[in-house]
Amino acid sequence: MSAERQFADGQLDEGVRFFVYQQILRSEKSPTVAEIAKSLACSPRRIRESLARLSESHAFMLQEKGELWRAAPFSCIPTSFPVKVGKRSWFANCIWDALGIPAMLGKDARIDASCGCCNYEMPVEVKNGRLTSDKGLIHIAVPAREWYKDVVFT
Amino acid sequence: MLLFRSEQHVDRWCAQWNRSRGGTLSLAQGWKLAKLWYGDRLSPRWKPYNAEQAQSVFRQVGLVGEFWKLAP
Repeated sequence: MSAERQFADGQLDEGVRFFVYQQILRSEKSPTVAEIAKSLACSPRRIRESLARLSESHAFMLQEKGELWRAAPFSCIPTSFPVKVGKRSWFANCIWDALGIPAMLGKDARIDASCGCCNYEMPVEVKNGRLTSDKGLIHIAVPAREWYKDVVFT
Repeated sequence: MLLFRSEQHVDRWCAQWNRSRGGTLSLAQGWKLAKLWYGDRLSPRWKPYNAEQAQSVFRQVGLVGEFWKLAP
C-alpha cells in the first residue's frame, strides 16, 4: 500500500487543475475523482475537497455525485456544443465556452452549433485565429451578476 | 449562452421559455470575449478574474450597461 502524498491545499489545487486539463486534452474526457486521486497519490476525500475549492470560482463545477461537470471551457458531459480540433473533439457548455476551446488552444476548430430556437445547423469555424463567418447572434438570458445562480439558462 | 440565427429566433426562444429578453452580442464579440477569457487558461499561473477584472474584459468587448454589471 502506498503512502498518501502530503500536499498543502494550494499546491494540491494546482496539481489537480493541471492534471484535469492534461487528461482532458490527452484523452478527450475528464478524469474521475478516483483517477485524479490515484494519479496524485492522494485520498479521494482530499481530491473532492480540492475540487470543491476549485469550484468556488466556477471555473470548475461539479455534478451532484461529486464528479466534474465542467472544467471551463470544457464540458465533462456531452452537450449540443461539440468542438472539433484536428482529430480531437470535446464538448462545451455554451457557445462562449465552445469558442473558448480554440481560444485556449490557439488552434483551428469547428463548432457544430445549431440555432437555440429551431436547431437549424450553424457550424462555426475558427481558422488562423479568426472566425470564417460572423453569421448569428449570441444571446444570454440571465444578467451577468446572476449567472451562477441560474447556470442552465445562462 | 446560445447561438441564434437572428433577432426573431431569440424572441421566439424567449417566448417558448417564458423568459425576458437578455443580452446579445455578435459572434465576433463572442470570439473576442473567448480569447480574453480563456487565452491563458492553461498557464500554471492562471488565477480567476475578480469582479473588477471580469468587468474590464466585458468593457473591452463592448459589453456595457446594467445587464453586464457584475456588482450591484
